[in-house]
Amino acid sequence: MRAIEAGLLICPECHQLNRQDSDHGRQRCTRCGASVHARHPHSLARTWALLITAAILYIPANLLPIMTVSALGQGEPDTIMSGVVALVQAGSLPIALVVFVASILVPTFKLVGIALLLISVQRKQPLSARQRIVMFRFIEWIGRWSMLDVFVIAILVALVNFGTLARVEADLGAMAFASVVILTMLAAITFDPRLIWDNTESHDDQE
Amino acid sequence: MCDVDDSRELIELPLEQLAACHECDLLMRKPELALGERAECPRCGFELFSHRPQMLQRSLALALAALLLYIPANFLPIMHLHLLGQTTQDTVWSAVRSLYDGGLRVIAVVVFLCSMGIPLLKLLCQLAVLLCIRWDVGRVHGLFLYRTYHHLREWGMLEVYLMGILVSIVKLIALANIEMGIGLACFIGLLLLQIWLEVVMSPQQVWEALSGESRYAGH
Repeated sequence: MRAIEAGLLICPECHQLNRQDSDHGRQRCTRCGASVHARHPHSLARTWALLITAAILYIPANLLPIMTVSALGQGEPDTIMSGVVALVQAGSLPIALVVFVASILVPTFKLVGIALLLISVQRKQPLSARQRIVMFRFIEWIGRWSMLDVFVIAILVALVNFGTLARVEADLGAMAFASVVILTMLAAITFDPRLIWDNTESHDDQE
Repeated sequence: MCDVDDSRELIELPLEQLAACHECDLLMRKPELALGERAECPRCGFELFSHRPQMLQRSLALALAALLLYIPANFLPIMHLHLLGQTTQDTVWSAVRSLYDGGLRVIAVVVFLCSMGIPLLKLLCQLAVLLCIRWDVGRVHGLFLYRTYHHLREWGMLEVYLMGILVSIVKLIALANIEMGIGLACFIGLLLLQIWLEVVMSPQQVWEALSGESRYAGH
């Protein structure tokens, strides 16, 4: 059975159990003082809002240049994809793969994955809860790795700074890209994974 | 642990003998753990409790060591780049500075927070929490700081930064002469200590010690 059915609320921060107060609008954890809810309030609406904003910014993040590499006065703008292509051409395939996964595959997978989770919860689709929770944990865990490209830009800007001879400058695309990463991380935080189990209770509890 | 027939009995148990999974809300009897054991949710597999021996002493040692490495890791050069007689160097801090000077201030702030600000705050929170338990003072503040730590957790990205250093090296190695600096060794040390600290400092034990219900605090 679920804690919610026993009138118990679990603290989202310290995981202490609290008995539900019926007359209280806002209840606080008896141990750590965090506010406790049966489910995060407006979890679905907030996650959708963050996700849609991220999806909109996803377009400039991929189309605009993230940095400009100039050598001997000639500048060449680099988008995320052209950075990966350059790595492949330079022959460093493993690193090209890492960058491709972190900057292209993961953000796309997160946008699609979180949208699927939201739809599956809202439409009460009978997908396997275990598969969905594995997907959610993977999304939660891998999200931060997309910051890789932002850090690479930071390091290159500091290091390749030889005046007119050679320099690297960060561009607006980097801003859009960092926003996508941060927004999708926030979307994973606002999503309440307990919702996944709420409408599958009857099947999975029998295991 | 997960018997459905048991549900009526479960409701009648006192709160102290119950536990619920944070991820899937399954209610169960609280498992009794011996030293070094851990418990997972029977339904979704989330790690619920783990009981580590000598949590307090080991965590304190790790937190102090990590803080000692913090300054050299962030302010000593990670690498030097030589190109046609000119040399530049890069520290974690100088990377933030040059982004800021380059005009993309928002990005500079994001990089600063993820690579320097939040990792430092996390370590300071952890140290303060451990000292609260050790000296038995200010537990209310300890609870607040430990909550803060949990909110910050995901946003410290030292391991991603290390991968960023690696990618930069690969990008530059064909174009110019690169030399690793002492800062890189300190940075890797800081990262390893921080991961180790997160493993040793088992949250459930810390919460119980902070709320004074602990049987473990002395271990």
